Amino acid sequence: MTIERRTVVRAVLVFVVAALAVTLFSAMTAQGATVSDSAVSSDISMTTTTVDIDPPDDAASEPAPTSYSGSNRFLQSIVNGLVFGLLLALASVGLSLIYGTTGLSNFAHGEQVSFGAVLTYFFATQQPVSLPMIPVSFVIGMPLVPAALLAIAVAGALGWVQDRYLWSRLRKRRVGLVQQMIVSIGLSLAILNFIQWWVGGRRLRLTPDIDPRYQLGPVYLGEQTLISTGIAIACLLGVGFFLTQTRRGRATRAVSDNPSLAAASGIKVDSIVRLVWVMAASLAAVGGILLALYENGTAFDAGARLLLLMFAAVTLGGLGHPFGALVGSMVIGLVTEVSTVWLAPDLKYAVALGILILVLLVRPQGILGRAERVG
Amino acid sequence: MTKDDVILRADNLIAGYLPGVNILNGCSMEVKKGELIGIIGPNGAGKSTFLKSLFGLVNIREGEVTLNGANITNLRADELVRHGIGFVPQTDNVFPSLTIEENLEMGAYQAHASFKKRLAVIGDLFPVLIDRRHQRAGSLSGGERQMVAMARALMMDPQVLLLDEPSAGLSPDRQDETFVRTRTINRTGVTVIMVEQNARRCLQICDRGYVLDQGTTAYTATGKELLKDPKVIELYLGTLGA
Ligand SMILES: Nc1ncnc2c1ncn2[C@@H]1O[C@H](COP(=O)(O)OP(=O)(O)OP(=O)(O)O)[C@@H](O)[C@H]1O
Ligand SMILES: [Mg+2]
Repeated sequence: MTIERRTVVRAVLVFVVAALAVTLFSAMTAQGATVSDSAVSSDISMTTTTVDIDPPDDAASEPAPTSYSGSNRFLQSIVNGLVFGLLLALASVGLSLIYGTTGLSNFAHGEQVSFGAVLTYFFATQQPVSLPMIPVSFVIGMPLVPAALLAIAVAGALGWVQDRYLWSRLRKRRVGLVQQMIVSIGLSLAILNFIQWWVGGRRLRLTPDIDPRYQLGPVYLGEQTLISTGIAIACLLGVGFFLTQTRRGRATRAVSDNPSLAAASGIKVDSIVRLVWVMAASLAAVGGILLALYENGTAFDAGARLLLLMFAAVTLGGLGHPFGALVGSMVIGLVTEVSTVWLAPDLKYAVALGILILVLLVRPQGILGRAERVG
Repeated sequence: MTKDDVILRADNLIAGYLPGVNILNGCSMEVKKGELIGIIGPNGAGKSTFLKSLFGLVNIREGEVTLNGANITNLRADELVRHGIGFVPQTDNVFPSLTIEENLEMGAYQAHASFKKRLAVIGDLFPVLIDRRHQRAGSLSGGERQMVAMARALMMDPQVLLLDEPSAGLSPDRQDETFVRTRTINRTGVTVIMVEQNARRCLQICDRGYVLDQGTTAYTATGKELLKDPKVIELYLGTLGA
């Protein structure tokens, strides 16, 4: 890959600007804290009443309690793994689509996940909320479903805006992929800090409802979890249907295969990529919302903590392969959850990385990736 | 030649990939409706670059391309497809993870209403492709891929077809097949501009040839004249079997 000096300089500039923006935001957060302090403290006192049904904060990354008496821990972990894998797939399928069609490893994808969940909290919570920079707090308190739908729409719109005003311009100027990736890292930090500044560092619950649990044979499943799983499966089937059964979907796969040949066939590559960005951002938001329900809460860094697993899943399944994200996510979800039967949950990421390396040693192109034909 | 039977004209094109480096320095071409044009020249002469610049994939810095008198310089590839130009690149000319039928569907992306009708027409030219339409293009041989690529470019029923080395990498009888098929396509009324390494075979079937060297169209003549031209023989045809 040839790296042009001018593009490097441009990327570094963008990065510096992004870093400056982040620093500025953080500095303003420190000042803004006094304004929103009252809101935060009232929020905390409200949530303490429900805190005993919450999982403790440090175990929050662990999706569901695995130690019910009378349940089979191993089977339970498999079920948890499948559910987590599906939700992870939903969050990471967009990462894979964007990589496939543009070649960009989008490090800001995790923030799309957080953004969806945080926006839903913003629309749905009964706590007073406020907009950044505006020192007025108010309660929106929409019901969960419309709040989630609105959040998904806003997140999708953000995907559109990002591609329209940033990525499409970088592509048009033929900025290299490494440089674009660096920009996405900067953007990721900027959005992360923005969300933290906006909603603070505490844990946010999308709904105060207590999730009723059902026992199905030897495993327990929450009602919200069941619904989330259903929604996730429906969304993933929808993506599959789009990619194989619709003209635009097939064009998306064509662009993934070979963008310049797609253009030579008369496909408007830019509008396909725009569509992919909107889809990716919306699906990430859906994933973020469902994960927040599954994990009984979200936080400003929920997506950032997921990013590594998403990259592992996408790479494992076969980079850029439309269904690679699904397969990779199921594997990662299962392996990491089942490993918690024997290993400390803190080792999840290590396990994910281990399985990734193992699979890549055996199949360098990933599980579904096709070995490039020679000649 | 009267003005209105010229379908495509390139006028002193200057183009290149990297800033400040021109690969084409003054390429001109005039193609009449229904002609079969061959472009020959040594490796690296800029033949592929010339075709790509006609098709909007390489930025033209100076000069003008017109199609039926209308300026089409630097239009986007998908707009040129709408104007009736088809292009088969030299390499990577199929979508490997799509089936043959999906490849052809992409070729007709802008005219999906007439996809079925065109598929029938193309099926007459390439019956093998229809028989194997559910096979992934990535699993085809080089010759079969070349067929898919050509069929894909014909799906929009283009007025002008640009072919970049359609016979490259094929066995001699498959090469013959390709030339014959190109001639057949041309006879149906499609103007064809083809770049070829196999200069002798190309010039035998061409109405007219252009010799491209170091980014300029050095000269043009009918295929038969070029085949007898001592300089062309020396440079591109070799003395064997001349
Ligand atoms: N994508 C590219 N970026 C930069 N330079 C390029 C690119 N493609 C081709 N070139 C340069 O342009 C010049 C002409 O290349 P081109 O592919 O047009 O030659 P050609 O006549 O088609 O050769 P061949 O017979 O080998 O196909 C070469 O010197 C090559 O290095
Ligand atoms: Mg070439």
